[in-house]
Amino acid sequence: MTLHTDLRPGAMPDAANKHSPIFSTPRLSRASGRIAARRGLVPFALAFVLMLFAALARAQSTPVSWIAALKGATPSATAPVSTADARRFLEQSSFGLTAAEVLRVQQLGLLAYLQDQFARPASGYPGFVYTNSNSSVGCPPGSPATCSRDNYSLFQLQRKFFVNAVSGADQLRQRVAFALSQILVVSGMKIPLPYAMANYQQVLLNDAFGNFRTLLDDVTLSPAMGRYLDMVNNNVAPPGGATGANENYARELLQLFTLGLVQLNPDGSTKLDANGQAIPSYTQDNIEDFAKVFTGWTFAPLPGQLAKWVDPENYGANMVAIEAHHDQTAKTLLNGFVVPAGGTAASDLKAALDNVFAQPNVGPFICRQLIQHLVTSNPSAAYVQRVAAVFANDGAGVRGNMKAVITQILLDSEARGDSKSDPSFGKLREPALFLAGMLRMMGGTTDGVFPLWQSNAMEQNIFDAPTVFSYYPPGYTLPGSTLSAPPFALFDTASAVLRANVINRLLSGPVAPDPSVSGATGTQIDLTAWQASASSAVMLTNQINQVLFHNTMPLDMALVLMQAINAVPSVDLFNRTRAALYLAFSSAQYQVEQ
Amino acid sequence: MSLTRRSFLASFSSALALSQLPSLPAFAAAGDYRALVCIFLFGGNDGNNMVVPVDGRYADYRAVRGDGSSGGIGLPLASVMPLAQGAAAAQFGLHPQMAALGPVWDSGELALLFNSGTLLRPTTAAAYRARSTPLPMNLFSHLDQQIQAQSSISGIHCNTGWGGRMADALAGINLGAALPMVISTSGNVQFTAGNLGQALAIPASGSFGLAGVGGGYASGITAQFNKLLSLDRNKQSVIAAQNVVAAGEKASSLLTPILTGASVTDAAFASLNTGIANQLHQVARVIGANASLGLRRQVFFVGLGSFDTHAAQISTQANLLGQLAAAMRAFNDAMHLLGTSTQVTSFTLSDFARTLKPNSGGGSDHAWGNHQLIMGGAVRGRNFYGKFPSLALNGADDADGEGRWVPSTSIDQYAATLAQWFGVSSAAMPTVLPNIGSFATADLGFMQS
Repeated sequence: MTLHTDLRPGAMPDAANKHSPIFSTPRLSRASGRIAARRGLVPFALAFVLMLFAALARAQSTPVSWIAALKGATPSATAPVSTADARRFLEQSSFGLTAAEVLRVQQLGLLAYLQDQFARPASGYPGFVYTNSNSSVGCPPGSPATCSRDNYSLFQLQRKFFVNAVSGADQLRQRVAFALSQILVVSGMKIPLPYAMANYQQVLLNDAFGNFRTLLDDVTLSPAMGRYLDMVNNNVAPPGGATGANENYARELLQLFTLGLVQLNPDGSTKLDANGQAIPSYTQDNIEDFAKVFTGWTFAPLPGQLAKWVDPENYGANMVAIEAHHDQTAKTLLNGFVVPAGGTAASDLKAALDNVFAQPNVGPFICRQLIQHLVTSNPSAAYVQRVAAVFANDGAGVRGNMKAVITQILLDSEARGDSKSDPSFGKLREPALFLAGMLRMMGGTTDGVFPLWQSNAMEQNIFDAPTVFSYYPPGYTLPGSTLSAPPFALFDTASAVLRANVINRLLSGPVAPDPSVSGATGTQIDLTAWQASASSAVMLTNQINQVLFHNTMPLDMALVLMQAINAVPSVDLFNRTRAALYLAFSSAQYQVEQ
Repeated sequence: MSLTRRSFLASFSSALALSQLPSLPAFAAAGDYRALVCIFLFGGNDGNNMVVPVDGRYADYRAVRGDGSSGGIGLPLASVMPLAQGAAAAQFGLHPQMAALGPVWDSGELALLFNSGTLLRPTTAAAYRARSTPLPMNLFSHLDQQIQAQSSISGIHCNTGWGGRMADALAGINLGAALPMVISTSGNVQFTAGNLGQALAIPASGSFGLAGVGGGYASGITAQFNKLLSLDRNKQSVIAAQNVVAAGEKASSLLTPILTGASVTDAAFASLNTGIANQLHQVARVIGANASLGLRRQVFFVGLGSFDTHAAQISTQANLLGQLAAAMRAFNDAMHLLGTSTQVTSFTLSDFARTLKPNSGGGSDHAWGNHQLIMGGAVRGRNFYGKFPSLALNGADDADGEGRWVPSTSIDQYAATLAQWFGVSSAAMPTVLPNIGSFATADLGFMQS
């Protein structure tokens, strides 16, 4: 069944989009006629196709290039945005689209919408307070059964994550922070204290629209990161060297947070030496000297106490320096840059982070990953290069301006348009985005309990990643191919069927509140907006085609949905809707965001 | 367009692998069954504290590692469990939390391989320091070294593992079987990826599958669901997602009774409820059903994490090795209960070892050559293989003064010894382990023939 391949309304080359209805009418009619006739579904199929044309004709074309606009003329805040592109834009910039947000994007225009999102304060994680790290202190004998869950596991934080994702107004900030949380990883596997992890996630939310250099400062001095990668209490080596400085933070800062393993070209491709070999970004000697830089920091003293070497665990404030435990020898960093002997913990740290931040690798290395998290697993080199150029210089001479980087990522011509014809474009929806997106599209409300457990079952236990490489390795490729597909690492034969099971569960009725959770409201959806069109299989299918597939649902898939809808009596709007949504949300065609 | 080229390369490599398929081996007789179980210790297990010399070399160990009272991470000599080889005094001992494996050692079903690791060719510490020999890419990086340990390919990027390639080489032997040869209880990992087929992932415990669809929309909906899996197969990522779901549905219907029903092996795991024990229990259940599944060869992958002990190593590693030893012991008992002891070999792998020199946080940092356990009735056990490193900083085996051992045995050789037992012919060995020809021997001798 490859007949439809180039005949889908949305599958035209991007350049042809402006004229697509006229351009493709005869071909579509022939194809749909053949398929439909074979299945005895001619009336439905024809009506469906006619509706598709009507929708396409209404849609307005997108400006040709946002890149030119970004680099020179700012696009008009009222530049028209097609419905299909507004929906795609929201899939990339939020935890899922809602009808209201689609309208808002179209009313404001993309750039103004971004400005509006940039200005929104973080929903964030207020209310998580200091907890003694020792659970027998925090939850002494006689404590309620929920004490441990609420204070010594990430349960309440994960709950709030999904509440914010489904209903927060700061969608873009949350989405970028979620991406950053998978690059600059701290995990509850090592720090199961919700207040510690909440404070760390708050840093990412607060800095999501700031400067990347500021983010590096705040992440480096964060007590959660200090504990996770062992910079906290990293002591100067004693004379004679029976022990060495802890290399963990030094290595991962360079390997995962800023540079990557090998030197990159400005477009993110690997730079090769004269022998065709990759060039390491740093050496083991660099790691050992960076490890010395990051000595002398301990937890902030608890209120009313004086700082001392090896303060008790405290994730409520940044780490503090104790100079006697800082290695004051000279260190040789990247490009042979030498931090002279005698510096303080803070001055060495600043010099080292400046040294790292200035490396040309940072832009392409970080920007490619941000694109992968927001838009597509397989960005072209040119796309990476355009974003990395903005990272290097936002137009006003500023390096690392995250607002400019995010704007470039989301308004780039490779991201925008009603549909994408490159078959390698897009990405598998990762569990958290699948869950939150589904709830938002079905008018869902949640206290976070149901989605947090479901995400966990699908191998994305929020903020509790198994390793510093996060939930899935950034370099994962599809088995048997070289196609980059990081979220597929979580999509295995055991976890994949869970996606159908979770939509089935939501459609089967409200998920009752967990009585052990204070203020629990459970999870439920509201199908009113969908049932309105369910008396007609064509209309309901087209609504799904528009909302879930931004008008690119393959025709043969549409026919299956219509069959399933028509298998339910036409007066039973509820079950017709459920049948269609079950199939649509669980389909691979939807799971791969395009 | 790049995709065309990718597709071409993908189909080319599949065709190549197919043409290299051996004909059905002669030993595929009734009752012929063998399984390999890879136990991966994610994070870099500190082999220096898993195997400790208890002879004169303990002093070298202690001199570098120190002990808990001085901020060091050395284990007291008296706590280490000696591994006797006969009448002579023991030379080495296991971590005290691994006592559960003592009887397995004594019964001759456990062996230790010293200082193996990723290599492109035989390499000395002097050659490493002089950079006079080609080296694996990105040494000391977790993800890269995990991938290389699982792929046994360290000089170029690749996306298959030696478990998956063994299955490719022996695909003919399971002809007609309803399940893939390779099964992971730890999700999608490189070890299990081959060129020919997709490995199966099963849950770490319990069953899996499509839930029954209830309510008024149930009629025929699963048939429609399945129909969608066969449509629109024009985009690589969509096809991949469809194939995973279809394979999961098929496997779950076959495996659910096996993973949920009573098993002979239950008794062995009755007192355990750790992640690693649950995974090995899953594996044991599937092995117990191999005849009904029509499988003559199986490769399994299980995982245990949190070995990245940069700090607080003493307590963290003790906990993990205790879980590991208890689970391996239970698995060995289970294989005896099934009567498959000589047909199943399990073995450990990890990212890398850790520096012998402690760091200032009561931990150790990323290193290289490491010690591994091999267990089963076909193992020439109660014996040590490979060469134990000199435990001196800046000594003959130390890469850089921190106690990072340059491996004296390659992963290729470790893998080849297992693959040969598994049934991979010497002719097919280079398709499984392309780099094996760089080393003197492909048989380290720890498996009975």
